[in-house]
Parts: sequence; C-alpha cells; structure tokens
Amino acid sequence: MENMTLLDFARGPGLQWALWIFFFGVLWRVVGAMFLLGTKDRSKHRRNHYIRDGLRACLTRSAPAHAFEEKIRFQHLTGYAWHIALFVSVLLFAPHILFFESLLGFGWPHLPNTIILFSAAIAIGVLIALLIRRATHPVQRLISNVDDYVSILVVLLPLISGVLAFAHVGARYETLLALHLLSVELLMIWYPFGKLMHTIMTFPSRYQSGTFFGHRGVKA
Amino acid sequence: MNAQAISLQDFRAQLEQLGKDVTREKLPDEERVQRAKDAFMRKLDGRRAVDLDTCLHCGMCAEACPFYEATQNEKYAPVYKYRLLRRFYRREMSPMRWFFKPFTSDITIDDLREWKHYVFDACTGCARCDMICPMGINISTLIRVTREGLSAAGLAPNELTDLKREQDAKNSFLGVDADRLRELVDQLADDGVDIPLNKEQADYMLLTTAPEVLLFPGALAANAKILNKAGVKWTMFTDAFEAANLGYITGDTPMLKRTLKRLVDKARDHKIKTVVVPESGHGYHVIRWLGANAIKDDLPFDVLSMPEFITREIAEGKIALKKQANGTSVTYHDPCRLGRKGGVLQEPRDLLTEMGFELRETASNGRENYCCGGGCGEFALSEASTLRQQAFELKKHEFQQAGADEVVTGCASCRFNLQSGAEKAGWQIPVTSLVETVAANLAD
Repeated sequence: MENMTLLDFARGPGLQWALWIFFFGVLWRVVGAMFLLGTKDRSKHRRNHYIRDGLRACLTRSAPAHAFEEKIRFQHLTGYAWHIALFVSVLLFAPHILFFESLLGFGWPHLPNTIILFSAAIAIGVLIALLIRRATHPVQRLISNVDDYVSILVVLLPLISGVLAFAHVGARYETLLALHLLSVELLMIWYPFGKLMHTIMTFPSRYQSGTFFGHRGVKA
Repeated sequence: MNAQAISLQDFRAQLEQLGKDVTREKLPDEERVQRAKDAFMRKLDGRRAVDLDTCLHCGMCAEACPFYEATQNEKYAPVYKYRLLRRFYRREMSPMRWFFKPFTSDITIDDLREWKHYVFDACTGCARCDMICPMGINISTLIRVTREGLSAAGLAPNELTDLKREQDAKNSFLGVDADRLRELVDQLADDGVDIPLNKEQADYMLLTTAPEVLLFPGALAANAKILNKAGVKWTMFTDAFEAANLGYITGDTPMLKRTLKRLVDKARDHKIKTVVVPESGHGYHVIRWLGANAIKDDLPFDVLSMPEFITREIAEGKIALKKQANGTSVTYHDPCRLGRKGGVLQEPRDLLTEMGFELRETASNGRENYCCGGGCGEFALSEASTLRQQAFELKKHEFQQAGADEVVTGCASCRFNLQSGAEKAGWQIPVTSLVETVAANLAD
C-alpha cells in the first residue's frame, strides 16, 4: 500500500508539480534573457542572408571545423554517443511511447528491448566517462561548478532507475517504477535552473553566431 | 631611398619605455569594483545573456586558444577568462539571479587584478575560440566585455594606458604626429611617391598607423603607389590619419568613440566617399564593423581595406598586376580582425595567386588561423613577452610545416610580431606586407 502511495504521488501531484516548474522555469529563463534585448548592428553588411547563415550555424556547429577535429575528438564522439543513446532510450522504448501517447494522443514505432537496454548502457557509460573527465581534466575541473555535477547526477538517476525497473532488480517493480518517475521529475525540476537549459539555448546561440559572422561575410 | 624605417630593435626599445611614467587615478577598491560592474551591466544585453546561459562548461574552447595550447595553463581557457563576467551575470542580471545569488560569490578587487592577466596578457581577442564552440557562443566578445570592465576600473596595463593617453591628446602615438607624418611624406616625395596631404575634394581618405610610419613606411608608400596608379582622387589628413584605436585596444569604450568620431567628422566634413584602411587589422575592424554602432548612425562613407580596394580596382580594370613571382611560394597569415572577424579572407589569396605566387596554406588558416600572438596591443605588454613568444612558436611550427619561402600578411602589428618572434627564435624567414608585394608588382 505504501509503495502504491509513492507511485500514486509520482504519477499524480509529483508529475504535475514537476511539469509546472519545468514549464514556467524554462519560460521565465528564456523570456528573461531575451528581455535584456540588444542593439541592432548598424554596420553595413557584407552578406545579408541572415536566416540562411543562422540556420547553417545551427547545423554546422554539430561538427567541428577540420583544424580542431583532432583536438576535440573525445568530446565530439562522446557527445554524439551520449545524445543518440539518450534519445533512443527515451523515445523508442515501448512503455515510454505508451506514456507519450497518453499525453499526446499519438504514438510511434518502438525498438526491441535489447537494443534499448544496450542504448541505455551506452548512455550511462558515456555519462560516467564524462564525469570522470570533468573531475580529472585540468580545464574541466577548474571550470566546473555544482551545476555541472548536479546536472550529470539528475540525468544519470533516471537512466539507472529505468534500467533497474526494466530488469526488476533491487526492489518491487512498483517501487522501482515510482523511483524512476521521481528521478525524471527531479530532472524536470532541475532543468530550468542548471545547464541542461543548453538543450534549448543552443539554437538561439548558434543562430545568432551564424548571423553575426555571416553579416561580416564569414561562415560561422 | 630617403624614407627610412627604424629598426625592429629600436621599435622594441621604444615599446619597452612605455608605461614607466604613468600616473594612475587613486580610486578606492570599492569604486573600482563598482565601475567594472557598471561596465558589465552596460554591455550585457540579450545576445550576451543567451551566450552566458548556453555555456556547457565543456572546455573545448581551450583547444582553440593559442595561449592555452602553448602553455597548457588551464586558466588560459577562454571559458575561464570570462568566468568573472558570468559570475556577475548570474548574481546580478540573470532571470534566475534570485536562485543563483546565494551560491555565487561577488566580484572583488582581487578578482579584477587576477583577471587583468587573463584578458590582457593571455588574450588577443583573436576569436579563434568563437569558431570551435559547439554552442556557437561568441566567447571573444564576452572576454572583451571583461576587458572593458577592467579598463573602466582603471586596471588596464600601464603600457596601453600610456599609448591611449597619447592618442587621446595627439591623435596618434609613439611620438608620431602631424609633423612626423609630413616629414615622412616629404621623404617619400623625394623617393618619387606622391602623397597628397589635406587635399580638398578628394573621394578617398587614406589612413595610416604609428607603427607603419615608424617601422614600415614602405607600406604607406605602397598604398600611395596603388591609389595613384588607380587614378582616384585621394588624400591623407594630417589631423586625422591614425587608423589604430587605443580606446578599442584598452577596452575604453568612451575613448573608442571619441577617436572614431574624429575620423568620421573629418571624412564627413570633406565629403569623403570611401575611407581606405591600411594594414591594420583592428583599425579595419573598428571602423568597418564597430564604427556605425559607436556613433549610433550610418557611416557617411564606405570603408575598404587595401585588399578589398585593390581587388575592386583590378576587377574594374583600373590596375593590373604583373605575374612575375615565378612560383615563389608564400604563406598568407590572416590578421584575426581582418579575416576571421572582418571577412577579408579571400581577397589577399586571390591577389597573391594573381601575382604568380604559389600559395602554401598553414594547417590552420582562414577563419581558423592562429593569431600572431601579439594582437590587440599585446605586443606592447612587457609582462606578456614570454607568453607572446610561446604563442608565436605555434605559428612558427605551422609556417615551417607549410614550408613556404616567405610569409605575407596584411597587418603592421602582425608583421611586427611575426618578425620579432622569428628574430627571437633565431629563425630566418622573410615576413612581408601584402600591399608592398602588390605595389612591387603593379603592371604599367
């Protein structure tokens, strides 16, 4: 009964509060930053394909320029591995799709569970590798703050609890499912406060870089 | 040859004397901190907020910074150089400041003094970090804002403060003034190069720089030869000839505007149609890209760098180049503010190829080019001399890999840094000027 209560909380008010905090937090942070406004660049443009340059930067920044490729190969490859593995685990797992379908009214095909499990293992492995690098690489260690470690933790917890729930290891299924949901809610609550916001801010940031340099005739 | 340049050693000796007699305004520490914060507040807008809110702390920018790469000092990572600004933003301006404030320490005078080294000695604002950031953050602008905060706090290095005050009072610096320019123009006239001074009804206004007058008068002569050959109506004004802007270099925005306004007013009063910027990377950057924003109005003239002017005149058939280089190999060094931050990347390469040079690119070139190590006034900083040389070694390595017979560049400051660095490294490589190369190859 007690476990069911926890699950009820995770499915009910817990999820609702997490969604509200997530939604308003993100809105507050994005609108707040935009409200600082900026002044128009009055210099005469060399190129005025702003939308093209902005969108181009949104795409091309996902691949490093040739001159830098070798030096950032680790971050580049782990970045791809992490994001792909995370999206596969979150978006192509059958129970997740059922959950999204209940919210959105439509679903999509899923992948076999073994692939999802493999994908989650990769995501966890990459995250731990990034954590170790952050704690040991001189530059990353110097620039890291609480946000960096908390953000890794709140992303790691849903992955681990999800794998445990899937494997039915460590506790009753209902308890594991409740913990998994609560860990996702923790992630949603932390999201607007920390650097996980980059998943949204990346696009305006890349776009404005593309237009800034494009204005001067330089590909960003 | 009547126009004589001073030697590299004498120029360096002149730089070494800078800042020795600078008297500083006595300010309480609290006032300095407040001035820095006020400058940060003025400069942080929505774009910079997006930049600061997007940083992932991935540290990739370190791998693009020549000072980090040369020393492996983690405090030279670009992301660390703007950390002070980020702290200020999170405490005082972020929409989440109510949450961040208890966890984010306030800026102190000790922070400002520490960051002076990072943003003046260990950053030339070359913007190579802007090209590597996977989030597209305009890192160099964030570091520049930090520089402006330190300048407002009265913490710019003595050497730059010395130069800045001289330019503010006399329009130019390093002892160069209207008389020194006239003297050089007279010498060049004796050498057969005509430079029309203070001419009314000119369409073009040519600028020069103090380092060019002192160290590379041949570049000024080359600009004059090219303009004369093109047959345009041009002039230089003895009270508005300096393209360098020490306000920009020190991060003193009010002075940047004052200096720029003098040029703009002069050009406007004389109905100048085009201002031609000599081989000065930051000079071009300031007038071409910051000018209209600084005076909050459209510039009443066009701005062209010499490579742009030459390319246009060739296209219009007004000048032609002799293809007589016979395959001599050259490497073109892109000045950061002319190339990566200025957009003049292709024209110099086209001109060199047009003259018959074999162009050998360094591994990092164009928008990914390494800085010479001494840009944005760093060449004048005595405390940065070791760092500067370490950064130069990266360039030297790439130059040697390219294996060209000579290096050509389009900025007097880069040219000095590269020549000086090569001399200190005991490496024999000619570092020449693009305009001088063009002038030597003008077809009849």
